[in-house]
Amino acid sequence: MPDLIIDGRAVSVPKGTMVIEAAERLGIMIPRFCWHKALGAAGACRMCAVMFTAGPVKGLEMSCMTPAADGMVVETFHPEAVAFRRSIIELLMVNHPHDCPVCDEGGHCLLQDETISGGHSLRRFPGRKRTYLDQNLGPFIQHEMNRCIHCYRCARFYQEYCGYRDFGPMQNANRVYFGRFDDGALENPFAGNLADLCPTGTLTDKPARFVSRRWDCLRAPSVCLHCSLGCNVTALSRYRRVARIEARENAAVNGSFICDRGRFSAGYEAIPERPRSARLDGNAVPAIEAETALAARLAALAEKHGPGSIAILGGLRSTMETQAAGIALAQAAGWRAPAFFATRTEQAATQAALAVLTPPRARSLAEIGKADAVLVLGVSPLFDAPMLALALRQASRAGAKIIVADPRPVALPLPFTHLPVPPRQFPAVLAVATGSPDAAAAAAQKRLPFAPELWPGLETAAKALAAAKRPALVFTPGLAAALPDDDRLGLFPVLAQASSAGAALLAPTDAPGLDELAADVAAGRVKGLVVVEADLFAAAPGLAAVLGKLDLLVVLDYLPTPTVAAAHIVLPTTTIFESGGILAASDGRLQAASPVQSPGDPVARDGAGSHPPRAFDRPLPGTDPAPAAFLLDRLARGLGLTLPREPLAALAAAIPALAGLDLAALPQDGLRPAFAGLAAPLPAPLPLSAESGLAVIYTDALFATDEPGRYAPLAQAQTQAGPPVLLLHADDAAALGLADGLADGLAVSLECGNRLVPATLHLSRAMARGVIVVPRVPDLAGLPPILGPCGLRRR
Amino acid sequence: MSPLPTELETELARLVAAVPRPREAAVDVMYALQRHYGYLCDEAMHCAARVLGMTTLELESLATFYDYLYRRPVGRYVIHVCDSVVCWMFHQDSIFDYLCRTLGVPPGGTSEDGLFTVLPAACIGNCHNAPTMLINGRFYDRLTPERIDAVLAELRAGTEEPVRCK
Repeated sequence: MPDLIIDGRAVSVPKGTMVIEAAERLGIMIPRFCWHKALGAAGACRMCAVMFTAGPVKGLEMSCMTPAADGMVVETFHPEAVAFRRSIIELLMVNHPHDCPVCDEGGHCLLQDETISGGHSLRRFPGRKRTYLDQNLGPFIQHEMNRCIHCYRCARFYQEYCGYRDFGPMQNANRVYFGRFDDGALENPFAGNLADLCPTGTLTDKPARFVSRRWDCLRAPSVCLHCSLGCNVTALSRYRRVARIEARENAAVNGSFICDRGRFSAGYEAIPERPRSARLDGNAVPAIEAETALAARLAALAEKHGPGSIAILGGLRSTMETQAAGIALAQAAGWRAPAFFATRTEQAATQAALAVLTPPRARSLAEIGKADAVLVLGVSPLFDAPMLALALRQASRAGAKIIVADPRPVALPLPFTHLPVPPRQFPAVLAVATGSPDAAAAAAQKRLPFAPELWPGLETAAKALAAAKRPALVFTPGLAAALPDDDRLGLFPVLAQASSAGAALLAPTDAPGLDELAADVAAGRVKGLVVVEADLFAAAPGLAAVLGKLDLLVVLDYLPTPTVAAAHIVLPTTTIFESGGILAASDGRLQAASPVQSPGDPVARDGAGSHPPRAFDRPLPGTDPAPAAFLLDRLARGLGLTLPREPLAALAAAIPALAGLDLAALPQDGLRPAFAGLAAPLPAPLPLSAESGLAVIYTDALFATDEPGRYAPLAQAQTQAGPPVLLLHADDAAALGLADGLADGLAVSLECGNRLVPATLHLSRAMARGVIVVPRVPDLAGLPPILGPCGLRRR
Repeated sequence: MSPLPTELETELARLVAAVPRPREAAVDVMYALQRHYGYLCDEAMHCAARVLGMTTLELESLATFYDYLYRRPVGRYVIHVCDSVVCWMFHQDSIFDYLCRTLGVPPGGTSEDGLFTVLPAACIGNCHNAPTMLINGRFYDRLTPERIDAVLAELRAGTEEPVRCK
């Protein structure tokens, strides 16, 4: 632990820490451009020069290139260092255009800040400025090369940190250019971070271009809703719409970055179709009228058929407050226990996936990035949880062996072993890979006798995991029962949706699956259904098909889903940007999001592009949405019931893993509950037999397959038009007679419920046999787990 | 994209096979393609990317960094005139200026007959013979205007057909 003195203040830092980082611990920000916490030093900009007055290093040195050592005395404001930095910033500004007034970075620009703090205000160099031609880098990043100061942050992030190779430095000396070989969209699904990383206006957020100055935005810490990882973001709002999403540092989860899905999937809060007023039997009515009618109808239903004829259904994209309020309401009113998951099995599996995360075994996303061998089971990182791919990349850069067992073709920007196995073989893969490395070859042959192509990969996996000091396992919930009981092996689950963990934590044990509710509705046992922020047509097509049998369908939502369209009564709710709330990430970590804006029509639409009407007595349009938890509480009052003042706190107190946690004051990094382990061993899931057909595997795309993202215009614009693309192993296709001349891109029909959905069939050899990979789109939501022999046919 | 001659394909495969990792042969492959095409046209870059398993961007990073890989059409003879300290100390008038004036080209330009391209180079490591220039891999030492005239005349008299890229 070197001890050093910076600007007269002593600091003690771990060995290997650079002086610039040591200074940061004291709150001293040494000017820098090329150095970045996540990327390290490049020594390219010379901006962080400081004076070492005593100790092992003497004189003017770069603080980003000098490791802290005992006895160092550093002066950041030494006159020589200040003069040096003033010259550097003047040099960097020689070619930088004076276009701050029209530059999007203006106001949060590191170059602006450091030009001013460096004391450079008058241009002395009379020559011409160097200019470049810009490139079109796709829909997310705007290129403005003239502003570049050649710090290399973008290239280091893009190529080294992320492992993509289509963007980088070109030319030399004074002409260095950062770009692509030719115009075109950046291939890197983390490219949005370039806008955060770039210390100038060279690479900026294109969709947010000319929307707002940063200082004019409302800003609040938020949590991403677009996969289960719970990455931290900063939401910036302007004129009642989210102007931009930025990565927010959380050392335990996402580090300094987020993926493009999380960054560019906002916008659903501002679409014109969003439910903004209460609706009663298809007519917009004041909220109070809808609430009164709702209470009356629910009371009448309970009177006529008993309270057990009413069910409440919670969504997997709601905050835990909302989920808890739904549970509390169901309990207080004596309704059926609230349903969250498609089946009881799925609920139990998700609960088990969290329960196994005992303190010695639980790993955070950041710790996955530091593991030295990772087995990923049933997860395609780039699409199921994009930031996981970046964490695996960091592990791989440090030498970790990565093994991914997943039926889908898997693409990752790192060297890895892919074991294309169908889900029914996951337990076997797990057993072999985590078993003894010496017995692995024999075990592989015994447990997977018909897949000799997997044997070498399994043996490597077993050896890598056995030899590793910090091995980790990334798994889907279904596997919780099969996990080996070995504290050495870290665990990190990836769940289905942003609030899956929240629902699993809170859901009562007797909560039915949506399939049971569908049966009850069909049989007439359930007459009234209260749906809170869920789309039945995507989450439970079986239930959606019998909605006509209900006497009363109530939907509380902020998205214009088909379920909202089918409802008798609609109460509009607020998004996470308007009400904030607590979300549980896939490792159970509880994190709080703050509200950033008030609900209401965006000003742009209110004024139809111009200034909104100047009538001050006019109510703001579209402000009816209220937090779902608040609406549920009002509903309870309407029914003459009293819910706890804080349903979440009340509920949490009764849940062992959450009891005693102060949910009102969660720490910055979030709080991971200490789970106690599995109470009772789970029954092993029934193996799916593939004899009769193809196992259906749903897969996500980078954009617009998560529920809020489907309603985000920008994310939706990234999807390809045309029929959904199915993937089938080439040999399976041959067996089905679908592998002829048209094999790649064959027009097929998929039997989904009682409909035939047109689709395009693509073939692959990098995937498991006996499965069909289907995109997660609402159109195809109702497929059976095993597609029968006639389920897929030529169109 | 027209296919490469078989000999060239064989040569490229040999270059790639001779090193542990293909990217180590990147510059050699690009030289070979430059010799074939006359300069590194986009077609050549795509060929190199295919042979090496690298992206065109990675190759562009190299090709635009190094002085002797040309991403734009050049003349039959590329004159790298030393534009560094020692040659400046020894020159009588500006050798570089003289070349440009004689050939009627700006720095980096190619003469109208397509024979000569004049490029400044930051030291070509021949200081003991300053002022100096390098033409297609050959040094020309202790230059004077007269000597330059003689060299240009000699090269013009050559009858080889200049290679051009389609």
